[in-house]
Amino acid sequence: MIRNSKSRGYLVSSMALVLAGTTFVGAFATTASATKAKKHKAAPIGVVKVETPPSANLTETGSTLLYPLWNIWAPAYQAKYTKVNITTGGTGSGTGIADAANGTVNIGSSDAYLSSSVLATTPTLMNIPLAISYQIIAYNIPGVTAHLNLSGLVLSQIYQGKITNWNDSAIAAMNPGITLPNLPIVALHRSDGSGDTFIFTQYLSRQDPTWANSVSYGTTVAFPSIPNALGENGNGGMVSGCAATKGCIAYVGVSYQAQVLGDGLTYAKLKNGNGQFVMPSPAAALKEATVYQNQTPANETISMINGRVNNGYPIVNYEYAIVNQNQADSKTAQAVRSLLEWAIDPKAGNSSQYLNQVNFVALPKKVVDKSLKQIEKIK
Amino acid sequence: MSVVGGDAESITALGPIRRTTLVRRIGALLRSNEEHVWRYSARSAAIIPLAGLAFVLSVLVLKAWPAVKVNGFSFLTSSAWQPGSTYGAVVHTNGVAHPPGSSYGAWPLIAGTLQTSIIAVLIALPISIGTAFALTERLPGWISKPLGFFVEILAGIPSVVVGLWGVLTLGPLLAQHVYPLIANHVPNVPVLNYFRGPTGYGEGLLTSGLVLGLMIVPIIASTTRDLFMQVPPLPKEGGEALGLTDAEVARWVTIPWVRSGIIGATVLGLGRALGETIAVAMVSGSVLGHVSPNIYGTMTTVAATIVSQLDSAATDGTGFAVATLAEAGLILAVISVAVNVAARIIVNRTSRLSAPVGRDS
Amino acid sequence: MSIISPSVQRTRARRIRETLFRAAAMASLVFVVGPALWLVIEVIVRAVPHWHWNVLTTVSQGTSGGLENAVLGTLVIMLGVLIIAGTIGILAGIHFAELARPRKNGKASGAVLRTATEVLSGFPSIVLGYVGYIALCVGLHWGFSLLPALLILSLMVVPYIAKATESAIRQVPTNYREGAEALGMAPGYMLRRIVLKSALPGIVTGVLIALSIAGGETAPLLYTAGITNNLPSASLIHQPIGYLTYYVWTDYNQPTNEAHYVSYDAALILLVMVLVLLVTSRIIVARTQRHAEGNR
Repeated sequence: MIRNSKSRGYLVSSMALVLAGTTFVGAFATTASATKAKKHKAAPIGVVKVETPPSANLTETGSTLLYPLWNIWAPAYQAKYTKVNITTGGTGSGTGIADAANGTVNIGSSDAYLSSSVLATTPTLMNIPLAISYQIIAYNIPGVTAHLNLSGLVLSQIYQGKITNWNDSAIAAMNPGITLPNLPIVALHRSDGSGDTFIFTQYLSRQDPTWANSVSYGTTVAFPSIPNALGENGNGGMVSGCAATKGCIAYVGVSYQAQVLGDGLTYAKLKNGNGQFVMPSPAAALKEATVYQNQTPANETISMINGRVNNGYPIVNYEYAIVNQNQADSKTAQAVRSLLEWAIDPKAGNSSQYLNQVNFVALPKKVVDKSLKQIEKIK
Repeated sequence: MSVVGGDAESITALGPIRRTTLVRRIGALLRSNEEHVWRYSARSAAIIPLAGLAFVLSVLVLKAWPAVKVNGFSFLTSSAWQPGSTYGAVVHTNGVAHPPGSSYGAWPLIAGTLQTSIIAVLIALPISIGTAFALTERLPGWISKPLGFFVEILAGIPSVVVGLWGVLTLGPLLAQHVYPLIANHVPNVPVLNYFRGPTGYGEGLLTSGLVLGLMIVPIIASTTRDLFMQVPPLPKEGGEALGLTDAEVARWVTIPWVRSGIIGATVLGLGRALGETIAVAMVSGSVLGHVSPNIYGTMTTVAATIVSQLDSAATDGTGFAVATLAEAGLILAVISVAVNVAARIIVNRTSRLSAPVGRDS
Repeated sequence: MSIISPSVQRTRARRIRETLFRAAAMASLVFVVGPALWLVIEVIVRAVPHWHWNVLTTVSQGTSGGLENAVLGTLVIMLGVLIIAGTIGILAGIHFAELARPRKNGKASGAVLRTATEVLSGFPSIVLGYVGYIALCVGLHWGFSLLPALLILSLMVVPYIAKATESAIRQVPTNYREGAEALGMAPGYMLRRIVLKSALPGIVTGVLIALSIAGGETAPLLYTAGITNNLPSASLIHQPIGYLTYYVWTDYNQPTNEAHYVSYDAALILLVMVLVLLVTSRIIVARTQRHAEGNR
């Protein structure tokens, strides 16, 4: 008890100090940025100046899709800014968000933007896009190497058990000239909660009202109970499960694209909001994201699924850093800002040198600016 | 006299340690009250499991309470696992906030937990008794001792490694060569038709039951072996003198002699199977929301669901998904504890030895 | 003739039944030992051809790289469990064996404590992990870190250690105590010098088995220790820690061969660690048994 009240005392006094500190620093920063703004009136968009961090220990947990990128980013950043020590952990988007809200980690990473209910409990939480990812629809049909045309409606009916065989007329109608075998379809879904399930079910919801009204979208949804459904753990499980199961169909994060090419295993062209069938590619994903950069609001909460974009790929999403505006102290806040600025800097973390390794796409310039605005709020 | 003896002993034991007055005083104080020191520290330590259990149960109940209020009794019977739209406007039921459209039922999880565990026990029990018999009655010591040790070691293999073998080796092998054979030859009559139908891809109910069976065999087999060895030779020899065969001695003398011990060990194995998480998560197919239509189908259990769903439950800002998992955990805890208490009662009633069951010590 | 024939038939039936029974017993032994050997060999066959010793000296990159962080993390976790659960479990075992004296009404005191310990030993580990995550990582703001993992694992294995300690102490021959009492030893001193010393092998065995259980756990660690590819830090809270079972569980179904090797290597290292612990405990038991038999 004694220790408790004592530590609370420390907490209060340190909070007061931090408060005083931030007011001071804040005032200084405002004047500084004001003068800066005057000097470079026509500041080019999408240019990031990375702050020099003080010595700090930062922790990141969350999305397993962003984890490989963090594992490339962290050593590169620490090589340049040796005073910062970063611990990364691929624990899952959900715990990443919970940890960031809780203040137990500095940065949580998530494939999905924050829900209003999370924001209601922790209003100071922000989602800051760091990169762009997209999703491919993989299938394993022995003898078929062509990239099939598929639509959200067809996928929805497959996952509802209304289309059960690859030789179904609905699929054939979309793919003239390709002979599809008499082979039962095995629909794979993620057994763990996942941002990939979120964007995939959002795509189905946008293209099929029946799906929207019955299953809807989320990181875990009640997939219709059909005989040929199989749950897989993680993106890795989806790919290796699909490779092992003839007739499978699976939704997979783009980081795994290279593995989705092999004996009968390949991925589909997807129907976008304009009705075009588009091959997944960085260029097609960038097209979709570029159109959405103007619509992206200041808090950067937006779905880019199924846009009416000419030749834009329809399942594209931001990969978010989830950060609490209020960090433990101003030094930590400065280090977090520095790391995130470095990550979105097109010349540093957002350069192809890092992003290509995981097939992610760099942020469009206007989104870089919007992310930067949010990063500046971290105190 | 005794105090002096104790002092002399301890001083030599302390040896070269630099002894300040303070340390010496504390040491003397401790030694003169040694019995009290032992008594109080031992008693406080013995309270910790109770305190821990109380803490765990109260956290579970507190956390599960909102879910209990909303999900109601139908949680036990309903099959839906629909987290609802976490992005929609929050709705309230009985004063508890939850996402619109959320609807939870644990029946498939409970059924899956019970089904896999029962399959495991049905497989493990006869095999364990046979193994124990072979080890104690049939084989010479030079081979039965190392084999017995091997069976015990099997209990220590991490469940994730057993699961790895189950999902990479056993499951695919059974799905390709064994399950179709059974499914195509079993007659289409009630009960047995449960073994017909699509045989799946190696992940499912029967594979989970088999893997769990392998995991609990060491628990039941090594206890049964120890029990068999405790049966005095005289009654067995008596049976043999009456002209009974080995099988009849086992059937009429040995097994009845230790029957409740075997039941206790079996129920303990059942408890382990009910709570096993990661191996089942690897080989069950992890499909929520339905009870497997036949013995090969994909399914999941309470424990596997908690481990695979807790992360995404944390994205539900109302906390309702996390609360529902606490309710599921509570149900699992109640089942496991009931099974274990039953086992303890049976074991304590029969074996005068207080050796930990399933462990050789 | 008519008298003999049924009995001959019965004898034949009995003989067949006997043969079947023996065959079934041997078959069950094969069904236990076979898959177990198969499992162990499978892990070795999958891991050894690609084994590099630098797995032990480089940290993981998630789906590739070494396992130094996980090996050290597992050892740190086992050491922590040894300290926490070892102390608590042994003391609790002493309490149950020695100090929970019978009451006046004849019932042994400590029945509630004993029941609680037994109930805890059958508690599903994932539920303990859930509570660890909710109450310690989130509730106390510790985050994924070493301390919640240690507390939850310790809660899991304390009953094993307590039970092993209790039965080891119970097996100390009464004449040892009587001798000590005759020499006028104080009870506390006798407990330390005579009883615990004689019971030590049994206690160590229990602790080693408990450590092998703790080191092989996956489910409760996923939500308490978290995961990181960094080496274990000195921090008890706020820093996640890596461990071997995580890599077995996560990397086996990744689509690259590199990831598979990480998973198999982790499984092999785990198997070796657990076998070393169990064999050590077995040797201790064998030695003391021989010792005891020699004294008899």
